[in-house]
Amino acid sequence: MLKYIGKRVLLAIVSILIVSAITFFAMNAIPGGPFNKEKATDPAVQAELESRYNLDKPVTTQYVLYMGNLIHGDWGVSLKSGREIWPDITSKFAVSAKLGISAMIFATIIGIVLGSIAALTRNKWPDRLIVFFTTLGTAMPSFVLATLLLLLFCLELKWIPVYNSSNPNYILPIISLSVYPMAYITRLTKTSMLDALNQDYVRTAKAKGVSRVKLIFVHALRNALIPVITYLGPQIAYILTGSMVVENIFTIGGLGSAFVTSITNRDYTTIMAVTIFLAILMVVANLLTDIAYKFTDPRIDFNN
Amino acid sequence: MKKKVLSLLLAATMVVSLAACGSGSKKSSSDSAKSATAVNTDTSTLYVNIASEPDYLDPALNSSVDGAILAVNSFVGLLTYDESGELAPALAKEMPEVSDDGLTYTVHMIESKWSDGSELTANDFVYSWNRAVAKETASDYAYLFDVVARNDDGTLAVTADDDYTLTIKLTAPCPYFNQLLAFPIYMPVPQAAVEAANSDGTTPGAWCQEAGFVSNGAFTLSEWKHNESMTYVKNDNYYNADNVKLEKLNYMLSADDTATYAAYNSGDLDFIDSIPTDEIASVKDNDEFHVVDQLGTYYVAFNVGSDLFSGMTADQANAFREAISLLIDRDYIVETVGQTGQVAADSFVPEGMEDGNGEAYESSYYDADETGSAKAEDAIKLLEKAGCEVEDNGDGTYKTTLNGEAISIPYILNENDGHQKVAECIQQDLSVVGIEMTIETEDWNVFLDERKQGNFTFAREGWVADYDDPINMLEIFSSASGNNDPQLGKTDSAAAPDWSGYDELIQKIYAETDTAARAELLHQAEDMLMDTYAVIPIYFYNDVYMQKSNVSGVYSTAFGNKYFMYADKSAK
Repeated sequence: MLKYIGKRVLLAIVSILIVSAITFFAMNAIPGGPFNKEKATDPAVQAELESRYNLDKPVTTQYVLYMGNLIHGDWGVSLKSGREIWPDITSKFAVSAKLGISAMIFATIIGIVLGSIAALTRNKWPDRLIVFFTTLGTAMPSFVLATLLLLLFCLELKWIPVYNSSNPNYILPIISLSVYPMAYITRLTKTSMLDALNQDYVRTAKAKGVSRVKLIFVHALRNALIPVITYLGPQIAYILTGSMVVENIFTIGGLGSAFVTSITNRDYTTIMAVTIFLAILMVVANLLTDIAYKFTDPRIDFNN
Repeated sequence: MKKKVLSLLLAATMVVSLAACGSGSKKSSSDSAKSATAVNTDTSTLYVNIASEPDYLDPALNSSVDGAILAVNSFVGLLTYDESGELAPALAKEMPEVSDDGLTYTVHMIESKWSDGSELTANDFVYSWNRAVAKETASDYAYLFDVVARNDDGTLAVTADDDYTLTIKLTAPCPYFNQLLAFPIYMPVPQAAVEAANSDGTTPGAWCQEAGFVSNGAFTLSEWKHNESMTYVKNDNYYNADNVKLEKLNYMLSADDTATYAAYNSGDLDFIDSIPTDEIASVKDNDEFHVVDQLGTYYVAFNVGSDLFSGMTADQANAFREAISLLIDRDYIVETVGQTGQVAADSFVPEGMEDGNGEAYESSYYDADETGSAKAEDAIKLLEKAGCEVEDNGDGTYKTTLNGEAISIPYILNENDGHQKVAECIQQDLSVVGIEMTIETEDWNVFLDERKQGNFTFAREGWVADYDDPINMLEIFSSASGNNDPQLGKTDSAAAPDWSGYDELIQKIYAETDTAARAELLHQAEDMLMDTYAVIPIYFYNDVYMQKSNVSGVYSTAFGNKYFMYADKSAK
């Protein structure tokens, strides 16, 4: 197990290095620059800024300098605002993580429950209703859903303020973020639950007189969860990175809009920092998913 | 069968949800047109939205209009703008004394304090201004100090004669220097804090990147939730604090029109600076809707070095561009796209500017209300003069060719609803004579690059003045300017106009000591620019905002700055 984890960590470092190199050279290759503005930057000012941030050096030198600083824990400053990047990323990540984790917990619990109900009531009305709503949930883009929620709960019913700086309300963004994964988890749980219920061991357990509750929750559900876990790992990393659309509509200072804005602005240092940070997150999430397999399915052997 | 029923049900639900969406937005907009929207009754705090997260709060480093709004409400310089939009003394006791030759300004200051209670003296200005122009500060607006003379050591010729007297020497008389004294880059910054946060000289703006920094304006920043909100509290040490009624000023940091407009309608915001284009028609008769003049011009520009003009003489290229200018129906654009009463432009220097000689600067190069298809015949003559062949198809349409080939003009713009609609109007206008215009939407950053480098034929443009003087509009087309997107004087194309005279004119304007002669030179420069038709003015900007009926005392300048400090909010 330890050997396996060690190997995976090593692989992870290599992947992150590759991601960082590709991102660095790709972002430098696309047209545009961090000091482009509607009112053009004075050439003397631009030269001063380029020399301050090493942008006047060849791209490969810039990459080496950047990675050198990064290894010493220096994530640099934003080319757009001159702000330190690391505190910015961590505070924005905290916001995105709070929302993302709440949304995932919500999506997972409801998804598994609905999926199980759908499987157990197959072809009856609860199943049909669930299928209907999960189809809707998968099909509806988050910006439509977020706008609808805003319209209904903030403007029509007036239950929740659109904007409240001292006490922001996270219910609507959590719902917006969780609907898609919830619908997906429901469908996934239903399919694999149906699959599990038809397995021989379930039939055997049933024949041996195991109670229905124990049969469903201990025997069938545990096996049915493996695909769900496979989905959850990357999905958690994805949702933790924040959603630009949901963040913009509900005015949330998360990582999603920061990432997109940094690309529009060609804020190279921020693009790099967010990419590397997200790559680390993704790699860790995948590793944790693989370890979680071990606990749900003892047949999985890390040594082979 | 069951599947069919299910899919029908699904389709029905989607239709219902879409309909709900549509009727919801309609309802809110028609509501707002008829009656006032919900108000916020927290009278101690004004809730506003200007834009998303600002880049710099340092008045010397800011280069955006939204940043300038934050600056004028949290810093104050020697002069400021009053409610009528006129310049007024702030930290200056009275308007500056100007020497007879117009070269020396003497400012007597009032005694005032920084927000931390320390004295603010003339030396703070000497420091702040020299810091603003220092190379290491790398300020975009440092060039606004070009009018100030330099000492032998390169520092600005600005001296603190005593704690409250400042003497400024200029290189040439500058009719708009008092306006500069109210500009954010001329505001003071606290030396000790600035230097403490910038020990190695590479982080000039670091001193005001979090809440709690020292300033001298009406409000100081007490809380900053990045990308969410900023809360400013009243600064009791502000020189005019007695007239500040608000306790707090809260900015919602968002550039999402849907969110800010919803927050305004729900009463969570008292003031919004942008309104979704689709909602303008429904709110413009509302009392909460305000339009103020802005000194700026929305225009389109041709790249004079573009391949489109290859083979033409400079005169032919001018005639071609003039034809395009005549064909663009400005009134239609203003009415259908602008919608807020913008004025169709007949010159590049916007209506309402002063000439620096105490008079209004007036110029007109064509009848802006008479452009469009009505001018098709004149345009056709010009196209023929440019070497094009125009064939009448006999059904009211024309076919224009150049050297036997159909003409197709690529037009670039950045992604934006309004710009897109303007482009479509122009496309339609040009089709009258059978000229095709293709619309190419580009990523904002790429768009800026392409325009600056001259990698385009025809492009969307706009310029809002920083101060009320035509030089601010005209100097951007000198050949050395980074904003000279039409590439005037930058290309060796034989079809491009000779531009050396323009650069000379701009230099003459900078050096001219007689204001009447200077005003004349400004007109000559604009004549020369407009003769090229490389710059095609569409309309003069105005600025719209919405403000609740229970709010009063907010005012705006023609440069887009909003002054919230003297706002008052009643409970109803």
